[in-house]
Amino acid sequence: MDSISAYISIIISTVFINNFILSRFLGLCPFIGVSKSTGPAVSMGIAVTFVTTMASILTWTIYEFVLIPFGLEYLRTLTFILVIASFVQFAEIVIQKKSPALYRVLGIYLALITTNCAVFGVAVLNIDMFFLHGKPLAGSFLKSVVQGFGAGAGFTLAMLLMSGIRERLEFAEVPRCMKDAPITFIVASLMSLAFLGFSGFKI
Amino acid sequence: MKVFGEFIKGLWRENPTFRIMLGLCPTLAVSTSVENAIGMGSAAAFVLVGSNIFISLVRKIIPDKVRIPCFIVIIATFVTIVELMMKAYAPLLSRSLGIYVPLIVVNCIVLGRAEAFSSKEPVFKSILDALGMGLGFTWALVMIASIRELLGSGSLLGFTISKHFEPPLFMILAPGALLTIGLLIGMFNHFIARSRSRKTDG
Amino acid sequence: MSQLLKFGLILCAICLAATLVLAVTYQVTKPKIEEQLRREEREALETILPEADSFTEKSVDGLDYYEALKGGELKGYCVKVTGSGYNGFIRMIVGVNPAGVIEGVEVLEQQETPGLGADINKIKPGEKDPWFLRQFKGKDAATLEVKKNIDAITGATISSRAVTDAVRKTITEFLAKVKR
Repeated sequence: MDSISAYISIIISTVFINNFILSRFLGLCPFIGVSKSTGPAVSMGIAVTFVTTMASILTWTIYEFVLIPFGLEYLRTLTFILVIASFVQFAEIVIQKKSPALYRVLGIYLALITTNCAVFGVAVLNIDMFFLHGKPLAGSFLKSVVQGFGAGAGFTLAMLLMSGIRERLEFAEVPRCMKDAPITFIVASLMSLAFLGFSGFKI
Repeated sequence: MKVFGEFIKGLWRENPTFRIMLGLCPTLAVSTSVENAIGMGSAAAFVLVGSNIFISLVRKIIPDKVRIPCFIVIIATFVTIVELMMKAYAPLLSRSLGIYVPLIVVNCIVLGRAEAFSSKEPVFKSILDALGMGLGFTWALVMIASIRELLGSGSLLGFTISKHFEPPLFMILAPGALLTIGLLIGMFNHFIARSRSRKTDG
Repeated sequence: MSQLLKFGLILCAICLAATLVLAVTYQVTKPKIEEQLRREEREALETILPEADSFTEKSVDGLDYYEALKGGELKGYCVKVTGSGYNGFIRMIVGVNPAGVIEGVEVLEQQETPGLGADINKIKPGEKDPWFLRQFKGKDAATLEVKKNIDAITGATISSRAVTDAVRKTITEFLAKVKR
């Protein structure tokens, strides 16, 4: 159960089968907003992957060692959002100081991430999937981290695919009322349909 | 009359879903049935009204620099209240909405209204704004959900419409949600553009 | 610096107030939430073994179950089973008689995909109970297997298998333990 395959299956599941954007609809706002060209889309994806991974580590630790021992599970929403917001702020300051070049690429995206459903979503999902009756399952911490990373990777993949399509869509003759967001949703729908082909796989 | 405008704008001109396109994650995820849509809509409306009132009340005490964290704390509090209430009084609804209830906290509509409206305006106007936005969000959700439930499970509010109709499962799955909202936004754009051009012609 | 302190204090005050409000809400809703969970379980128990007149909660080696009695005579066991589904846990109560034959399966909580896996609970129009769960009734727990004696839900083989495997594994384990 706890072999390496369990972790690989989590990655495949979050990237392809239950892709965060295309099947869970988490992180949809930046998916529509920032997917106009490939460069920013990938930067956003990397920033999200970094934050989802770190947020998984932080929120799991806090849930297991602070909220459960004190019987404060009902403060989950409040604590998680505060932790994520503080972490994003902190990361922004550190990156700005240590690597201005990286900050120029990722900076503005980091600011947008606090209210990104994907980050908060993966934190809550980790708790729902890897804790049973208030107790962590075997390998729960590593699985959470892997799921956090996989969620970000799946987000990046969807962003990359979508921005590639949208760059070409610029030259297509789309009815005026369908320009921008509406046609993006239609394209996303077709992508989601394609990703549905992965469902049913379980490794 | 002008105050009333704060209420009306959320329903049509600044509809959070179709016009501003905020808070799309829950819109698409829970619109598999009309029942879920109503539940989600009212939960979000409650959080909107509650946090808007509170933020408007304390808007003069909160320093500008720490306003976002303060807003987040207030919103998260109301979200948790909804979460607990729903578990206690509507357990079935709470089950079918699942993680999308706590996710109201990152719903951009709520923080967006806090930042753009209630942090600047008096309480009464903020309540109207929140009610309008909440209602606008709810009816958009119900509209998407009715289309999806009708086509995807052949029922409306849980009542089967016709036994002879084999519903395409596609509509109730993720692609159907994206297709529905894409077409609806397109339709809205079309109508609004047309009403605008009519005004300029006349 | 004093400004920073002021900001910190205001934030702390708001957090404190929020925690207080939530603590009160939690205390008020807690008994209600627990009552709801108990009622759901009770309803499930009564659907599975309607002839029993009393259920006593017990546990053996970490497995929670109810003993169903009718006038002091053992009618069967209702075991809490948790399966690992597509999007999370599937919580069930499974009724089994002392001979190892399934009396009924009730799903308490699941997060499967609406339209696919969530159909484990789907009741077809004009019928009283979910067709998928009905298949378990009257079968020997140890033999349950998808495609052999349980038909899977179209497009949701994983959810179907999750339910079936969890029932078979947990019940065989339980029977071995309870007979000891």
